[in-house]
Amino acid sequence: MSRIFKYAFIIFWTLFVLAPLSWALVTSFKTPAAVNQGATFIPWVQFDPTLDGWQDILGISGYANLIPNMINSMIITFFASLISVTLGGLAAYGLSRFRYGWKYYGNSDIIFFFIAQRILPPVVLAIPFFLLLKNLQLLDTHLGLILVLTSGLMPIVVWLMVDFFNQIPREIDEMAMLEGCNPFQAFRKAILPLSKPGIAISAIFAVIFGWNDLFFALVLTFTKVKTLPAAVVALNGTVTPFWTLAASAIFSILPLLGFVFVVERYLAKGGFSGAVR
Amino acid sequence: MGIKFYKRLFLLPGLLLLIAIIIFPLLFSIRVSFSSWNVSRSGLDFVGGSNWARMWSDADFWGAMLRLLNFGVVTTSIQYILGFMLAHYVWQGIKSGRFFRLIWLVPLMTTPSIMAIVWRSIFREDIGAANGLLKSVGLSTIGWSTEIVPAMFTIYVAEIWQWTPFMFLFLLAGLLILPKEPFLAAEIDGSTPTRTFWRITLPLMAPISIGAILIRLIESSKIFDSIFVLTSAGPGNATETPTYFLWKRSLTEFQIAYGATLALTYLIVMIIVLTIVAKVLTYISRPRGW
Amino acid sequence: MSLELKDLGITDGTDMILEGITYTFEPGRVYVLMGRTSSGKTSLMRTIAGLLDFTEGDMYFNGEDFDVLPTWKRSTSMVYQQFINYPNRTVLGNVLFPLLRSGLSKEEAKSKALEMIDKVGLSNFVDRKPGQLSGGQQQRVAIARALIRNADILLLDEPLMNLDYKLREQLREDFRDLFTASKNSVTIYATTEPAEALLIGDELLVMHEGRVIQSGVPAEVFENPNSVAVAQIVNEPPMSVLTAEISNGTFSIGHRMKSQVPVHLVGVPDGEYQAGFRASELTIGSEGDMTEEGEVDVAEVAGSETLVYLNTPTGYTIVQEKGIHQYISGDKVGITIPPERAFLFDLSGNLVVAPGN
Repeated sequence: MSRIFKYAFIIFWTLFVLAPLSWALVTSFKTPAAVNQGATFIPWVQFDPTLDGWQDILGISGYANLIPNMINSMIITFFASLISVTLGGLAAYGLSRFRYGWKYYGNSDIIFFFIAQRILPPVVLAIPFFLLLKNLQLLDTHLGLILVLTSGLMPIVVWLMVDFFNQIPREIDEMAMLEGCNPFQAFRKAILPLSKPGIAISAIFAVIFGWNDLFFALVLTFTKVKTLPAAVVALNGTVTPFWTLAASAIFSILPLLGFVFVVERYLAKGGFSGAVR
Repeated sequence: MGIKFYKRLFLLPGLLLLIAIIIFPLLFSIRVSFSSWNVSRSGLDFVGGSNWARMWSDADFWGAMLRLLNFGVVTTSIQYILGFMLAHYVWQGIKSGRFFRLIWLVPLMTTPSIMAIVWRSIFREDIGAANGLLKSVGLSTIGWSTEIVPAMFTIYVAEIWQWTPFMFLFLLAGLLILPKEPFLAAEIDGSTPTRTFWRITLPLMAPISIGAILIRLIESSKIFDSIFVLTSAGPGNATETPTYFLWKRSLTEFQIAYGATLALTYLIVMIIVLTIVAKVLTYISRPRGW
Repeated sequence: MSLELKDLGITDGTDMILEGITYTFEPGRVYVLMGRTSSGKTSLMRTIAGLLDFTEGDMYFNGEDFDVLPTWKRSTSMVYQQFINYPNRTVLGNVLFPLLRSGLSKEEAKSKALEMIDKVGLSNFVDRKPGQLSGGQQQRVAIARALIRNADILLLDEPLMNLDYKLREQLREDFRDLFTASKNSVTIYATTEPAEALLIGDELLVMHEGRVIQSGVPAEVFENPNSVAVAQIVNEPPMSVLTAEISNGTFSIGHRMKSQVPVHLVGVPDGEYQAGFRASELTIGSEGDMTEEGEVDVAEVAGSETLVYLNTPTGYTIVQEKGIHQYISGDKVGITIPPERAFLFDLSGNLVVAPGN
């Protein structure tokens, strides 16, 4: 009995996951007329598929071109994630291994400070960032958005990596230091090789959250630098061309999917299970 | 080059960069909340606590905050339950487990705002898939964006679709790390699956569960993308959440000073609420003998 | 090249983790630290290694002030009690790691490493990763790694504790040979087992609650523990300490058993004392002047001996019997106490007289 429920649930959930994506995929091949007719689902049976939607967003038909936007997103996400994972990872290692303090504040307060950045809704920082970037002439630039996103991504990295580093026995660092490595060398040679799964997960989340940002992109960039989510949502603002929207939805999902598939192999189970018994 | 140098080398670059990026905005927000910067008057004058007083009696603001209770708590709970079920099934083993695992992770790799557009197209009353399906089986259509409950439902669906995989991933990772011994012991003692779950699995998963729930609560409280695209806080302001409300006030109506006040209030309230929730959850899940 | 500690202490605000440690360690000798868990052995070793900061006193090595020298600049090696190795490197990689910074060429380093691996008997496992080795093998890798640099100070923190009995005995022998090879190093070895101290150590330091309470040649300390605390630490199983009294030429234990004052106690003033007896010197049976009846609490077989824990009217007693004997809790047996083997301590625990050999 419970087995029936189990598989029913699994099938239901899988269908639920695939539903909106397949709807978008199907719709992306519809003509405007087909879309306005009403809801149809099966190509060739209920409507004639075309490539209009795709041509519209890839700059072929002159309506819009999402490729530059995708490249912008890639550049910005790449650098924001890189900085976040590097500096965040180093900070997390420090917080894991050393005791910091200033008056009554200690490690957990510092970690809380990092995490508090995530509690702040982007809106809190939107206007000030706008003014700040304006003064620094960084509005509508890659660098401006990269810096702003980094402030939101570093906390995620720190949160994940501190926990992760805490699980690697401190004795390994000590061994390396006894054997002549200064703490930075110990980190690089002894701990980093063991940290691949943690770095992979942090990188995945940093990239996902960086890529998906809508708010800051809307507020801080306009014409010269437009990220993919912002561009797609802008398309939505005018007359709603569903077929292109569906195409753009599918189009914007692919890079992220690609990235995760590539990085997933590093998520093998921890490499340090053989260190201490 | 003593240890102090290295201590600083690790922590300071990241910490200082973070402080550098947000210190100005934060201080600015605090300062401007005491001014009256809005669409007609820009500049930092000083009006004392008038914005703050206005905040206290702003029914719309607090209404939006309360709605967070609805959205945040309901969606996080459902995501937790569904996510746990999925993780549990995968952990125990299902046929073609790897295939399902990859498929279930896909929503996490989509862009929420863009998916919201897809959901919008599904829930359009005239040409959307939802009403289309209802019509084809003979049921009457639903006003997805014109009535309150359906509007909330669409937000739930979008959020649950988007973020349950996160819970799934997190909880699965936690389950995989669990030691085998308690389960072997339970099996030897003849425990039923239900008992094993409630008495062993769930308690052992308590720390990870709390972490996942807190993370989702923090993130879902900022819910904006789906509201912006799907309902525009409609109908009326039935689905208006704090972030949307703040966005409206600060960036469309240009009430910068008041917006900053609301934002800081939001921050303080969230920190207090989250700390309480964290403590309560930790308390409930503390180990008890039986 | 000696290691000097002067009045070394560590406090964490409320407790003294280490207190007033003053000692000079000479190169080429093996020093054994004995003490119960949390007596400060590990803290002392970690302080010498530089992993723990000390708050009071001084530490000098070869004249250099160790206070300012960070761990990675000291010439120290350490073997931990839980086998720690670099899990992502092979045995060879592990043993090579310490040599990476020594300026040797790749070939030289490799041959030195292989030589050391051979010395610890792991030549067949050169390409395995630690996760694929047994506990004893992992510990031997750790030992090879520690020895290969020929560091000036070699620290071993209960390295055999997590291994099984047989392995311990075997490695103890190996240690003796391995240590004689480190002629120029200060070797400090922590353990709770008296057998190891006797076998390996040139000098013994007994630690208790953060202080060194006795030091000297191991055999000396065993024969003349200066206090009950030391006696309990250096005897495994612990001594049975019973109340004793000397009056009018009579030596009595627990106000019940009496005998003539034994030879080594002649001249001790009358009064109340504590008498300690080694478990191996008490016997089950009822012959002799001092016997009493006790009830078996627990009996366990260890190796080829039986340890019998007894409740007696005089106190809790432990007897170590040769051979394997069966006892059930509650059995009533007789215990014979040899007065001539009494270690006499005064009421504050200090040694008055020890039985000679």
